[in-house]
Amino acid sequence: MREAIRLALVVAGKDVRAELRSKTALLSATVFGALVLVIFNFARDPTALSSTDLAPSALWVTFAFAAMIAMNRAFAVEREHGALDGLLLAPVPRGALFAGKMLANLAFVAVVEAVALPLFVLFFNLDLSRALGGIVGTAILATIGFVAVGTVFGAMAVRTRFAELLLPVLLLPFMVPPLVGAVQVTSRLLADRPLSEMLGWLRILAAYDVVFVTVAALVFSSVVDE
Amino acid sequence: MPPEPPVNGGYTIAAYVVAGAILLSYFLSLVRRSEK
Amino acid sequence: MTAAAVPPSIERAHAVMRRGRAISALALLGIAGVYVMALGYTPIEAHQGLAQKIFYVHVPAAWCALLAFSLVGIVSVLYLWLQDPRLDRFAASSAEVGLAFASVMLTTGPIWAKPIWGTWWTWDARLTLTLFLFFLFVGYLALRSAVHDRHERARFSAVVGIMGMLLVPFVHLSVYLFRTLHPQPIVLKPSAPSLPWEMLRTLLVSTLMFTLLYVGLVTLRYGIGLAADAKEDHDAA
Repeated sequence: MREAIRLALVVAGKDVRAELRSKTALLSATVFGALVLVIFNFARDPTALSSTDLAPSALWVTFAFAAMIAMNRAFAVEREHGALDGLLLAPVPRGALFAGKMLANLAFVAVVEAVALPLFVLFFNLDLSRALGGIVGTAILATIGFVAVGTVFGAMAVRTRFAELLLPVLLLPFMVPPLVGAVQVTSRLLADRPLSEMLGWLRILAAYDVVFVTVAALVFSSVVDE
Repeated sequence: MPPEPPVNGGYTIAAYVVAGAILLSYFLSLVRRSEK
Repeated sequence: MTAAAVPPSIERAHAVMRRGRAISALALLGIAGVYVMALGYTPIEAHQGLAQKIFYVHVPAAWCALLAFSLVGIVSVLYLWLQDPRLDRFAASSAEVGLAFASVMLTTGPIWAKPIWGTWWTWDARLTLTLFLFFLFVGYLALRSAVHDRHERARFSAVVGIMGMLLVPFVHLSVYLFRTLHPQPIVLKPSAPSLPWEMLRTLLVSTLMFTLLYVGLVTLRYGIGLAADAKEDHDAA
């Protein structure tokens, strides 16, 4: 078990170091995220749609698309360097391999979200003093779910020619339940609603994570092995 | 005198035509593929 | 890797395709008959008028799309367990046919919603689920067309099939939770809780014909897949 954890961290570390060297995924995702926020904010009519109504959706759409870009690029970088084949030849248990890949993707997406959130506060002029902890917690909960699915689909898409197009087509339906839940919880957090109003959505988010992380880990070997 | 039902037969015709067209054209495309 | 019982042969493929064509043609004629039955021999619903008759096409199409989708999911699990290429061939067929039925649902749904509910679209349980099924089918088929190795394609498709099947309950839950908080003003109930016999009869006949069409189209599509595999094996030899 400890060996598996160590291997997972090694795998994750490899990916993270590779990305830090090339910086392509993080950079493109971050720039993209900032642009989307600007457009959302710039394009709305402030008298018709208040920022607190628009903000949760804008934030999560930004997170979703930027995360997708980050995951796509991460796999592409790995394919360019042929890193995956080397890993597969080594006797790394597939569960550890999946965990490593997922951790690396989580790290990338976390960076993108961490950059987008302050921009979000800036552009939408929000007061996060009470809601910050809740928003961060919700972000973790929702992100884990769609990154798990994205890790599996990314591993598949990277073997095809139109990977950048295929990953969104496959992944977007799977991002909807976590996104809907996250938007619902975030909007209630910003409106300072009681926890009882968010519990249903939080339970859906948690259940989604449990189901899809488990299944993703189980099917990952079917994707990477012959 | 009970109220007259709304006049909206056009929607029904449209739906029947569209559904039939989709299924028929898919069937025909399969037939074409099967004869290649 | 366990092999199928018999390698694909062109002759068997042609037999399967013939059977599929025949069953489908019969079913299409049956559906034409259902049209006549629904329009000419079924009473008009008092509140909704003629538009209610879209129900006789929309509901059976929904049933077939859901059937197609469930089978893809179940067969995907079986494929990962048994590795039988026949399972993958069936899944591919069911997905394509399912997409056709889902398209029928997505078009007839709004056409029905507009006169009955006054709006083309509503995020109600059935329409939302249909939209998801549509996108899941599209993604499944897009993936298949992008992977050229038969075994890799089968494995990848099975993964997407399984995950798609698991997604459906979450879509349901989300819609349910959303709707309990934002109840839709329901202008007219789209289907009465107890259907009069003449309407139920038409609905059952329609469902039967649509299901027959599903069987016919999947058989035909299966035969096409079988022929393609046989040709590929023959060319490789």
